[in-house]
Amino acid sequence: MNLDRRRLLRLLGATGLGTAGLAACSSPTEGPPLQSGQADLTLWTHDPGYATFFTEAASDPGLVGGSDWTFSVEVTSMAPPDVIARLVSQAVAQRPLPSLAGLEIGQFPRMMGSDIAPNLLSDLTPLTEPFGDRLLKTQPYTVDGKVYALESDNSVSVMYYRADLFEELGIPEDVETWEELLEIGAEVAADTGQAIGMVSDGDNTAIVQGFTQMLLQRGGGLYDADGNLTVLSEESIEVIELMAEGVRTGAFLSLADPYGSATAAALKGGSLIATVMPNWYKVYGLEANVPDQAGLWRARNIPRFTGGGSVSSTMGGTAFGVVKDQILTDAALDFLQRCYLTPEGQLARYWAGAYLPTLADLYETPEFQDITDPYLGDQRIFEVYGVAADELPVYYQGAGLVVLRDSLGGPILRALKGEIGAEEALTEGISAYERQVPEQ
Amino acid sequence: MSATTVTQNKRRRTGRRQWAPYVFISPFFVLFTVFMVVPIGAGVYLSLTEWAGLGTPDFIGFDNYARLFQDPSFGTSLLNTAFYTVFALAVVLPASLLIAQALNARGLKLRDLFRLVYFMPVVLSPIIIALIFGLIFDGEYGLFNAVLEALFGFGGISWLTDPLWARIVVVILVLWRWTGFLTMFFLAGLQNIPRELHEAAEVDGAGPVRRFFSVTLPQLGPVTAFIAVTMLVNTAQIFEEPFLLTQGGPGESTISVSMFIYRAGFQRLELGYAAAAGVVMFLIVFALGRLSISAFGVGRNR
Repeated sequence: MNLDRRRLLRLLGATGLGTAGLAACSSPTEGPPLQSGQADLTLWTHDPGYATFFTEAASDPGLVGGSDWTFSVEVTSMAPPDVIARLVSQAVAQRPLPSLAGLEIGQFPRMMGSDIAPNLLSDLTPLTEPFGDRLLKTQPYTVDGKVYALESDNSVSVMYYRADLFEELGIPEDVETWEELLEIGAEVAADTGQAIGMVSDGDNTAIVQGFTQMLLQRGGGLYDADGNLTVLSEESIEVIELMAEGVRTGAFLSLADPYGSATAAALKGGSLIATVMPNWYKVYGLEANVPDQAGLWRARNIPRFTGGGSVSSTMGGTAFGVVKDQILTDAALDFLQRCYLTPEGQLARYWAGAYLPTLADLYETPEFQDITDPYLGDQRIFEVYGVAADELPVYYQGAGLVVLRDSLGGPILRALKGEIGAEEALTEGISAYERQVPEQ
Repeated sequence: MSATTVTQNKRRRTGRRQWAPYVFISPFFVLFTVFMVVPIGAGVYLSLTEWAGLGTPDFIGFDNYARLFQDPSFGTSLLNTAFYTVFALAVVLPASLLIAQALNARGLKLRDLFRLVYFMPVVLSPIIIALIFGLIFDGEYGLFNAVLEALFGFGGISWLTDPLWARIVVVILVLWRWTGFLTMFFLAGLQNIPRELHEAAEVDGAGPVRRFFSVTLPQLGPVTAFIAVTMLVNTAQIFEEPFLLTQGGPGESTISVSMFIYRAGFQRLELGYAAAAGVVMFLIVFALGRLSISAFGVGRNR
């Protein structure tokens, strides 16, 4: 074939047009809603645990048996912030969106403003409403009274402690209040240099998360149900003062990252002998960093604050939302309901990745009560988680939470170091927040 | 064939010939328009709007700019970026030159090993660098504090959680990461200086220091100017080092302008506000770039 310059240019032009044409035609998510049949769902998540669970659940007859759809799940992994960023960018570019999206709790506030959640996600309130208060942790994913994602893991906070070292040091395992425990912790720190807790002095997110966990336990919160800022409160001041006192006396160890190398060193070296963290920390923090300490750790409920509050708190979590107005939206809703709102689904989730049930009634059932944990010395762990779930504080988020974290992080850190007072730290942080989020 | 047909064919060929040059140079202009003019124009337009990504951007005039210049976080990011840039020019640049001078010394053994070692930070993944620096500078369990404790009896410095020290650790990372890279440029420049010039200066009685200032530095002028301008423009857009090491913290004490834009755009979904900050950064970097090109005489014929 004689290919001269003109023919070559024509050929290239035709190839370009053809490629553009094909790209324009490919849009597998468009079309009328599928009412039954094969549903090839797509899912975006950051956690390989969810990827495994959903992939296996799609072919588990105990979960999806009797459904009008035959499911399969294709997972795309990406970092938690990228899930939302890509949802928005794909929607703007009118490119294919996933059927289900895993939304990390700290990232969800980015969807709460500018009507992003209502525009992108299906309203799940019809699914959650029948359960009432017995379905836990719907509040953080609620916008204008509508629930847009279902929590995967209750993330209840408990106190993990080294039973062997507590016994050796003479620390009672049933100390009632934080104030008592802090006093004991100060003595232990002075005698042995060991700490009975940790606070984060790393990035703003870690600092504010640690503070929020204690604040929720004390009965306070960052926002109320209407999204109004409530962080400047007596509870907040009390919590920061307690944390600062713990750091000052050495009862609390300052660590940059609760999951990082310094914390691993503190756990391995036995200088951190207790910590208040959510249930998933046992897997990702303790078992991952100190597998050799299996059997030495125990869990108990958190000591109360003398001033009030509960023995429970929460930190972290990931909820799944269904992207609306797609061909597989109904199928994805059915699949999510079967996996997340049935006792079988909740039990399967626990065995898949130790995700705690979000249906409160399940904590008392034998299926969960009889579970023992070898890492925690075969402790009947749901006796602890059950109490914590029962007293779980409600946690509201606001659209400005991302700004609030950046505004509060620095001042709280200075307060923990004793450079400024608790009230001053809060005032400074809120002032910075209000300059950036004037409408709040 | 009639005379009319011949004339028409000639005209057609002449017309094609007139268009041909434009067709051949058009790829550059098309690509320049699509990938430079349009994005910059869109960025400027976006900076005049309020937009979270979905729906239609709301035109709000210069409100984003007004808000930007009242935002203390943006002020902090500008100051931090200025600090990093000044440090890069005042410390990294001279350090690179001195190391290049040392590597260029006659009779140096293991020269290639030294070159490899100095160049290594450039090819290492920033993630690994951040992890290693995190381990070295950790306040409780860091290697650096342990060494200080062992040698001098004190080591309780909060390297990454104290605003001042955190800034210093960021610039140490900049120094460690970029010095070797710049050294390679200086080394190439040094090797192009004719040996006769040094020999002539030596015959005239010039010592090593005098030769450095009277022969080496003037001869390295164009290389130094290129490196200085490149470093200035790059450091003014610094992102990776503070982002990976401190996430801009503690508080906002190490945040740079690029991080500020990333945070506004991708974390807070304030795309109009981020675009406004991007436009301001573009203007600052452009002005600084032009000023430094003019001051150093880059591209000027001697």
